[in-house]
Amino acid sequence: MKIDIVTTRNGVRETVAYDYRPRQEGERPMILDVLLQAQATALPDLAFRYGCRARNCGVCTVDVNGRPRIACRARVRAGDRIEPMATLPVLADLVVRRDGIARQLQGRTTPDHRDPDVNAEAPEAYHDLTACIECYACLDGCPMHARNFGDDAADAAAPDAATGYRWGNPFSLLKLQRLRLDPCVSEDGRQAALDAAIDLGLDACVGCKGCKCGVGIDLKGGVVGELLAAAGDRVPGDGASAS
Amino acid sequence: MTIEVEWRDYDVIVVGSGGAGSAAADAAAAEGARVLVVSKDPIACSDTKISEGNATVRGTVSDADTEQVLSDNLRVSGADLPLPALTDAYAKDSRPAYDWYRAHGLRPKINQDRKGPFARPLAKGGHTVARSVGHKNAGVAFSHAAWDAVVEGAHIDYLEDAWFLDLAVEGAENGAPGRVAGGLVYHAASGTLVAVRAPAVVMASGGLNTLYFPKTDTMRGNTGDGYAAAARAGADLVDMEQVQFLPFCLTAPASYEGLLVGEPSTASFLGVLRDRHGKVILDGVYLRTRAECSAAIMRAVADGRGTDDGGAYLDLTANARLPRSGKGFMRYLETSMPSAYRTARQALSKPAVRCEESWEVRPAAHYTMGGIRVDATGASVGGADDGTAAAGLSGLFAAGQAMGGVFGANRLGSTALTENVVFGLRAGRGAADHARTHSRATGDDAFRSLIAAAVAQFGQSGDQAPAHLKLELQRAAWDCIGPARTADSLNRMDAVIDDLADRAGRAAVPDYALWNQAFIEWVELRSLLDVARAVTAAARERDASVGGHVRLDRPQVSILAQPYSTVVRGQAANDGVLRFHANRARRPRTPAMRLLAMRLKDAWRKVQAKVLCLLPPALLDPILDRRYRAILGPGDAAPAVSPGGPAAAVADAAE
Ligand SMILES: Cc1cc2nc3c(=O)[nH]c(=O)nc-3n(C[C@H](O)[C@H](O)[C@H](O)COP(=O)(O)OP(=O)(O)OC[C@H]3O[C@@H](n4cnc5c(N)ncnc54)[C@H](O)[C@@H]3O)c2cc1C
Ligand code: SF4
Ligand code: SF4
Ligand code: FES
Repeated sequence: MKIDIVTTRNGVRETVAYDYRPRQEGERPMILDVLLQAQATALPDLAFRYGCRARNCGVCTVDVNGRPRIACRARVRAGDRIEPMATLPVLADLVVRRDGIARQLQGRTTPDHRDPDVNAEAPEAYHDLTACIECYACLDGCPMHARNFGDDAADAAAPDAATGYRWGNPFSLLKLQRLRLDPCVSEDGRQAALDAAIDLGLDACVGCKGCKCGVGIDLKGGVVGELLAAAGDRVPGDGASAS
Repeated sequence: MTIEVEWRDYDVIVVGSGGAGSAAADAAAAEGARVLVVSKDPIACSDTKISEGNATVRGTVSDADTEQVLSDNLRVSGADLPLPALTDAYAKDSRPAYDWYRAHGLRPKINQDRKGPFARPLAKGGHTVARSVGHKNAGVAFSHAAWDAVVEGAHIDYLEDAWFLDLAVEGAENGAPGRVAGGLVYHAASGTLVAVRAPAVVMASGGLNTLYFPKTDTMRGNTGDGYAAAARAGADLVDMEQVQFLPFCLTAPASYEGLLVGEPSTASFLGVLRDRHGKVILDGVYLRTRAECSAAIMRAVADGRGTDDGGAYLDLTANARLPRSGKGFMRYLETSMPSAYRTARQALSKPAVRCEESWEVRPAAHYTMGGIRVDATGASVGGADDGTAAAGLSGLFAAGQAMGGVFGANRLGSTALTENVVFGLRAGRGAADHARTHSRATGDDAFRSLIAAAVAQFGQSGDQAPAHLKLELQRAAWDCIGPARTADSLNRMDAVIDDLADRAGRAAVPDYALWNQAFIEWVELRSLLDVARAVTAAARERDASVGGHVRLDRPQVSILAQPYSTVVRGQAANDGVLRFHANRARRPRTPAMRLLAMRLKDAWRKVQAKVLCLLPPALLDPILDRRYRAILGPGDAAPAVSPGGPAAAVADAAE
């Protein structure tokens, strides 16, 4: 089974046609199986991320035919093209630099606003958001995230993954909305989380067709919609918001 | 091209950002230390994240669950290898440790009567009381707490994509370990070597289970780097032969090999293990420890009665067949280990998932009970018996899977998530305290040879690919020091290690600095070779079967024998290769009366289980039906793991 793997070594991008050999009769391999076999045979230095092989750790996301897929749980088909996620800077082969996404929340959230009495039960919506495995598939097509790379000329800013991106993304909004649903977070803490969402560019969500989650979390309604509703007039809308 | 070296100064370096690392960083920062967390995986991405999310919390069900009872449970299941000082510390801190996760956002279901979390009603194998608290979204919920603690944490700096390579040590003399001056890190994302000066280092780097890939259910990053770096720096390791193999992992399809599908408790009241001919090789499975189940499977395989893929059959059909309780069983199966069941559902045939057919299972490496030898503050110790910090590597601390001594020969289900924070907090405090009271390193000499060696590796020409050597090592490790061992297999392992170490000296590594995968593979190969040596040395010193160490050619250790732990210390020979010297540390036996009481209770449970199986279905069915109702509670217990329909999932095409 022929698969195209896009490699980047020392800055040089190349497409390698790899011939996957099934290990069992009738095998329906995953993308990750292809990468593992390629590394075990023809491409020993092939760089890619994976961890659990079971869709729990969220680090193996790659683009397949231009769309983000969780490599350990996405079936591969002959002719597929495996590339690094297009939404983040490539470090080597299929490995992208991820830490700028998390870093942008540093200093924007408020750990001090948690109540020491931890015997409070969280609403179902809180647990829905805790299902996020940080796969970053939701960055795909997010205009807010794209601002970091200058797609929006007015807001063009040099992306700096080492210090955290200026503009947010569905994942960071999810983290903030999760704080707002935590029964142990104070009113101040909730307000601070909303302020952070607005500061990260919540206005980009107005009129956006909405984000999609790699594991099926309702980002549109459960995160963006809730934040926009809470922000009210602070984020001027055109009536066509993501909610 | 040569790789740049960047110098940094901190009070405490924490290696790893799972439960143990995040707790250690939080505790050290709270003590005013300047902390650097380095993590090869993204922050909080770890075994903690992919776990089933069951945590031991003492006293959730009953006040009779005293510290003594919990401490004894750990020691007895660990065959008295655990250090009492460590199991006592665990029992004392299990609630505060759990509350640390809660302070960072973990939200269990609350039992308003007892003002605390609900525990799962069935005590997991080896626990004499039900005290395992389950969580929605399993380990992912714990990883959010770990993430919040590091990323939101005040005064914590962190570097991810950062491989901790070696401890810088000064003042080592006459075979006695010296003191920590810091550590050398490869930051793959920026393509630099970071030389970090710090008087204290907390190893929270997880286990070595990737030594058995793909026969493991753990994260890829479990390459034993922490043990290897500690041993290379002169620290003692303890009980390294004790690797926990979880009995119920998949043999096929290939994409799922090694992944977890169940625990002994999954077998429920009527589940049994069978060999390839259908003969029962273990009954009462749900009351057995992981070690017992794994040993039963591996003994059958060694006798030539294993399945084609070297496993056995987990036969759950009797549970599912009963007309009324069968439904309760299926609901129990789906909800008690949701992510394991999800894996089973994706990988097994439809009749198997409905439990109309047996599941083919084989043990897979899951947890490393052994590790860096420490005291109850997490400080490295050396010397006889319990050891002392004065004889350990000064400034080195360890917590979580990286430390040894708390679980001995067997770790009970749900104990690790609690343990990593119990000792994470202790090690973090200990490290901050150490940094406050000990002067900084005198110079940078301790770093020079480490830097030179790392720099020299970039651009090495050679005819060997580190990634391929790693695979060879992993295959041999499963065969020779896996869940079944013999004197002969240990010797074979030594020969393989020597050969691979030799070839690792001829490894090809390109010279670019930014995310150099070949360099990463080489670093991990080096760790795996070192820990494989440590396992082999300890396995040789342990000349009988106990817990995770199954010697097919030696008897089971008698419960009357004097318990001992194996201690190995590495020493770099002239050829630069680390050789291990093994000796023993004496351990006290659990007082006879307490041991007897526990054994009797256990034996009684097994007798009851046997009697139950003898009942005619018409009597059995209503009894089991009541039991499942009690277990599941109103509303049939836990909901599914991930919310949202598959339609919304763009990245998960297999579901
Ligand atoms: C599938 C599965 C299910 C489990 N279920 C449960 C359960 O329900 N209950 C329970 O109690 N336990 C469970 N466990 C066990 C438990 O999850 C782990 O033992 C525990 O989380 C380990 O925590 P830790 O902090 O010690 O290490 P980990 O969480 O593994 O973290 C290790 C960290 O070290 C980093 N690291 C490693 N080497 C280096 C290096 N050289 N440089 C820099 N960083 C490095 C890694 O990137 C990672 O951040 C389960 C384990 C698995 C695999
Ligand atoms: S709704 Fe907001 S967060 Fe979601 S994709 Fe659009 S801009 Fe991004
Ligand atoms: S919100 Fe969904 S898509 Fe985004 S990181 Fe989390 S799990 Fe992945
Ligand atoms: S490897 Fe963990 S999600 Fe794919």
